[in-house]
Amino acid sequence: MKESAREEILARLRQAPKMEIPARPVMPTPREALFDRDGLIARFTEELTRESGVVYRAADREEILDYLTEIARAESLTRIMMSTDDMIRSLDLPAWGERQGVSVSTAADYPDRESYTRAVFDETDAGVTGADFAVAETGTLVIAHGGNQPRLVSLAPVLHVAVVGIDRLVPIYEDALSVFYGGAGRIPPAHLTLVTGPSMTADIRATAFKGMHGPRRVIVILAG
Amino acid sequence: MKIDTGNFVRNAKLEMQNQYARTFLSLLPPYIAARRVKVMGSFPDPAAAQELSRAIRAEAVARMPDLLEEFEKNAIAAGARVLWARNAAEANEMILSIARERNVTMVTKGKSMISEETGLNDALAREGIEPFETDLGEFIAQQLGRPPFHIVGPAINVPVEEVCDLFMKKAGMQEETTDPVELGYAARLFLRDKFRRARLGITGVNMAVADTGAIINVENEGNIRFNKSSPRTQVSVMSPEKVVPTTTDALHLLRVLCRNCTGQSISAYVSIDRGPREPAEIDGPEELFIIIVDNGRSRLYHDPKLREALRCIRCGACLNLCPVYAKIGGYPYGWAYSGPMGQVLNPALLGLEETGDLFKACTLCGTCREVCPAGIDHPAIFLHYRALEVKRKRRSSGRWEAILFGVWGTAAAHSAVWRFLYRLARPVLAVFGKKGKIEAMPGPFAGWFGARDLPVPARRTFRDQWRESLSKQGGAS
Ligand code: SF4
Repeated sequence: MKESAREEILARLRQAPKMEIPARPVMPTPREALFDRDGLIARFTEELTRESGVVYRAADREEILDYLTEIARAESLTRIMMSTDDMIRSLDLPAWGERQGVSVSTAADYPDRESYTRAVFDETDAGVTGADFAVAETGTLVIAHGGNQPRLVSLAPVLHVAVVGIDRLVPIYEDALSVFYGGAGRIPPAHLTLVTGPSMTADIRATAFKGMHGPRRVIVILAG
Repeated sequence: MKIDTGNFVRNAKLEMQNQYARTFLSLLPPYIAARRVKVMGSFPDPAAAQELSRAIRAEAVARMPDLLEEFEKNAIAAGARVLWARNAAEANEMILSIARERNVTMVTKGKSMISEETGLNDALAREGIEPFETDLGEFIAQQLGRPPFHIVGPAINVPVEEVCDLFMKKAGMQEETTDPVELGYAARLFLRDKFRRARLGITGVNMAVADTGAIINVENEGNIRFNKSSPRTQVSVMSPEKVVPTTTDALHLLRVLCRNCTGQSISAYVSIDRGPREPAEIDGPEELFIIIVDNGRSRLYHDPKLREALRCIRCGACLNLCPVYAKIGGYPYGWAYSGPMGQVLNPALLGLEETGDLFKACTLCGTCREVCPAGIDHPAIFLHYRALEVKRKRRSSGRWEAILFGVWGTAAAHSAVWRFLYRLARPVLAVFGKKGKIEAMPGPFAGWFGARDLPVPARRTFRDQWRESLSKQGGAS
């Protein structure tokens, strides 16, 4: 019988002479690990701002909604799609939208995938989502996608507003990703993204600009 | 992709006439290289960080068969389908049949070097399936039918006027513009429609994590995220060496990759997939295929020197510092990979017969080796290729060369013989001298002078002068 490609490739790899595995150097502790809360906030803000992201601090629900009102006015938002994770749900955005004259939808409002896709691509001014972690190291959001966190809501609209609890601000990527891929307890998500600022490119004449395929602007509200 | 590695010298000479590209090359690579140095400084100990990434890549390649099996097991457990392809034809056929079964007539693609290797776009187009590269640079290069100029900026050298013409013709652009940002937005509009409609999305893989079965992609534009979110079927194509042991290893490589690639501390997006979407998700792929394409790797894995080439993480840092690349750009390398990386990979994957002079275009300065985060010793591999080529050719045409170098070897190892032969050669050489230089010579040595001059030997050798001055001094004391 003809060997399958898999068997053939693996067998050929295994027949090759073994090679030594080099020792790994010890890495110094990352600087961020020693930061206190203010230090982490400062680093997160500085890193994200450099990538043209905007960071707000909000003490409570009222302040978060105030910021959203301000953003909606400044950006002339009329149609928002939101994720349905705990943080965003706790804000009761539909009620806020009614007061502000902004229509607020969730993926569940659409009868099927097609109409949802059309809406999120073409009929949404901003995606408002939570994030599982904010990483100070590089001003990065960690978003585990799932039923309450659709993939396109933070990607297709031209503006992405993320609301993250300050208790979710961690020093380095490992602090966040070990929660999902650490092997203990939680099942890793099917899709997880690290988001640092808006989408960008410099592919034509090395001219950098934001908003290539994804959002042109990213605003993060650190809450609490 | 058409393979044109055999015409390296001809194409390099041609490219050196291209003033626009020359100006561009004198500006951009040094700029990225400087950014790289700056951002590497954000590691508490940059040297240790580089040493660690080298150790991880060496380990990943050394343990490759075990890691691949572990990765496969975990990816399948997460619901992915893992397929293995021996070569380009098999890989393309797999993707074609996935597309046919789903009645797909158009696919969107994220940047994937392995699919450039396998010529996937041509294979799809031949079957009436329209492929759209969605990375801006790849999109331009694809529509122009050119190989990548630079691994990070495949079309970064293309003049805006040319991009404008192209987009007017092929990307539905309404009004002419030479503003790079406006051009980018025109492509955004055009490709957005493709993302919305695509039934099948194809991506490459930057890293495959053995202990979780996850695949990781690194990008700035968001096109890969769209490819993983909008279509109902996702096909991710990888070469075997993409596998790394753990998520922690992947995160370190991620930090090192972004710094070396674009001088960023992290790219705008990193996406990690473990299996297809969960049932509760409204978007994302209902099915995820991971295709592992060998395409010659398991064969070259047997040569310990060539195996080193598999450590490469395609960061492009070696391109930005290479004095040869800086003069000729990416086209003459004639295939998917350019610069020192291409000089290492193209001969390893295509065979020395196909790659002509590619690996000889090197000053052996060693800058690529110094910068490489994967720990590849490029110059040593080039010398290895030369040795292999000599071995291969000796049977046929290398007879005179062998004799010549035999004599040369004997002479160089025995000072008396050397001095004797040199004494004979000096007056002969002097005949060809003009104004202190020999610029050309007839016969078998003509080629050597094609790009070099030799100073005419001095009338009296240093040794003679030295001896004379010693004897004078001796006379005086
Ligand atoms: S050979 Fe090294 S420096 Fe060059 S692209 Fe590969 S990993 Fe980067």
